[in-house]
Amino acid sequence: MHALHKIIAAHATDSTAPVRPGAIVEATPDVFAIGVERNGDEIEAIEADLTELGVDELPLKDRIVAFFDHAAPAPFPAAAIGQKKWIQFFRKQGIPVADPGSGVSHLILPEQGWVGPGVLVALNDSHTPTMGAVGAYAACLAGGTLSLLAIGRYWVDVPDVVLYRLSGALQPGVLGRDVSMSVNGTVGQRGALGVAVEFGGSYVESLSMDMRFTLCNMGTEIGATASYIQPDQTTLDWVMPRARSEFRVYETDPDFTYADVRDFDISGLEPQVAKPHAPDNTVPVSEVEGIVIDQAFIGSCASGRLEDLTEAARILRGRKVHPDVRLIVTPGSREVLIEATRRGHIEVLHEANAIVTNANCGSCAALHEGVLAPGDVAISCNTRNFAGRMGPGASIYLGSPATVAASAIEGRIADPRRLAQA
Amino acid sequence: MSTIEGRAWIFPQDDINTDQIHLSVYSHLPIAEQAKHCLETLDPTFASSVAPGDVVIAGRNFGCGSARPAHLDLLELGVAAVVAESVDRKFFGNALSGGLPALSCPGIVQAMRPGDRVRVDLEDGRITELRDGRSVMSIPLPDFARAMLRFGGEKEYLRSVLTATRS
Repeated sequence: MHALHKIIAAHATDSTAPVRPGAIVEATPDVFAIGVERNGDEIEAIEADLTELGVDELPLKDRIVAFFDHAAPAPFPAAAIGQKKWIQFFRKQGIPVADPGSGVSHLILPEQGWVGPGVLVALNDSHTPTMGAVGAYAACLAGGTLSLLAIGRYWVDVPDVVLYRLSGALQPGVLGRDVSMSVNGTVGQRGALGVAVEFGGSYVESLSMDMRFTLCNMGTEIGATASYIQPDQTTLDWVMPRARSEFRVYETDPDFTYADVRDFDISGLEPQVAKPHAPDNTVPVSEVEGIVIDQAFIGSCASGRLEDLTEAARILRGRKVHPDVRLIVTPGSREVLIEATRRGHIEVLHEANAIVTNANCGSCAALHEGVLAPGDVAISCNTRNFAGRMGPGASIYLGSPATVAASAIEGRIADPRRLAQA
Repeated sequence: MSTIEGRAWIFPQDDINTDQIHLSVYSHLPIAEQAKHCLETLDPTFASSVAPGDVVIAGRNFGCGSARPAHLDLLELGVAAVVAESVDRKFFGNALSGGLPALSCPGIVQAMRPGDRVRVDLEDGRITELRDGRSVMSIPLPDFARAMLRFGGEKEYLRSVLTATRS
């Protein structure tokens, strides 16, 4: 059995239920995370359904985490009215609601020790696979919200598992995000459709936790149900001081057969850029250098961590953002923001005329803090560059935080290696 | 509810994502307003012309991207089923919860033409053109999904679970 299958089995209602690819298993998660949304009609419908079903007390109340990361705090009256209804629902149920500066769910759940090795987490957000970086089973909840609220159980579709082995060493100025974009471009948007992807190999073993999250985040853009990295000492050093409960590391049996194994050599990789309008539309930065930009964005659950802000500050130190460009920096979580402040990165960003916001999803989903106008061109290290993603009619190029920072300075897509500083 | 008949709307593109089905910039609005923009970048006439009972036919990986409740727009417009070359699992699960069948059916885009009248048989999975009988078999739904569709979605399914538990 694969470790992911063991995690599902350990949470199954029926402990004898076969957990094999293709099966659907009823399970209870350790953590059920729900976001404060903007549409009040949606939570009113859920409340009406619960009343109709005769559910007063939520069976998972103590393991529900209410976060607040999209359009946080409210950017306009209609969103405020909708969000208020969601907050009132949680308060009525006695569930604490994270404040709208706390950060993105996929960052704060592991940071705050809710999600770690062996945890089954339920969360209806496509980038939930990000948390597989700590050895959790983190698949996007797809339907099942009402079931979890009403009966505390939901259905888990058991995926096949493929193994991506990454080896080699990166050249200076090339970052983990470049690796994830390169893999995305190689396998495509349907490269891992409906399967879980385990990332392994010498490169992954050498990676920091920040870049492991970045790699696992990309699983979503290749269609993966979940991403996974087998916990090692790096994982344990990061999760143990944060743990709210005892975590359990599951190991994959030596005789487990992966549905597919692919090898990637990342040596010699150039900085990557994904052209509009798909994250797998990747080319080396040299092919798009010089394209004039209106906006640059650093943040999101893909690349809004301390290492990302550190790389951006390294490029921006002592320089200014091009006068025709808006550079928006949205830290992924308050923990990231506090540590980046302590290290002086935030001051560097302010001195460079970057716009630094509170921690949240930022402009990644065209909800606030940097919505693009039709015809605008952006370079961004957010999650995806679908048409309309950051505003209808705009074009998004994806790059690493270093590429975004370099481009913000030059006003055009730029190779960060030219602007490297110590 | 085991058989659906309606006009076919063909979106042959692969990787139609939920940013195209359910635009985030309108996500605070009542669903009736949001649905007016459903798939507008691919076919500006779709939302105003689609009729209750119609079937959306699409390419591979339909509904990929964000896990937002994009099925609500299609339900609001009266779409009775989605039949795609393949369906993203997030969209599939959300749609199932709302009682909207989303079938994976390799070959469907080639087999059907815009304006065809199609029948979707949810029990045996066959998609048939009503006038000349052309047909394609979809990949069978898991028993669990078929059961939930018979209930019409997650709420009625839960009512049955809770009734059984309480009695």
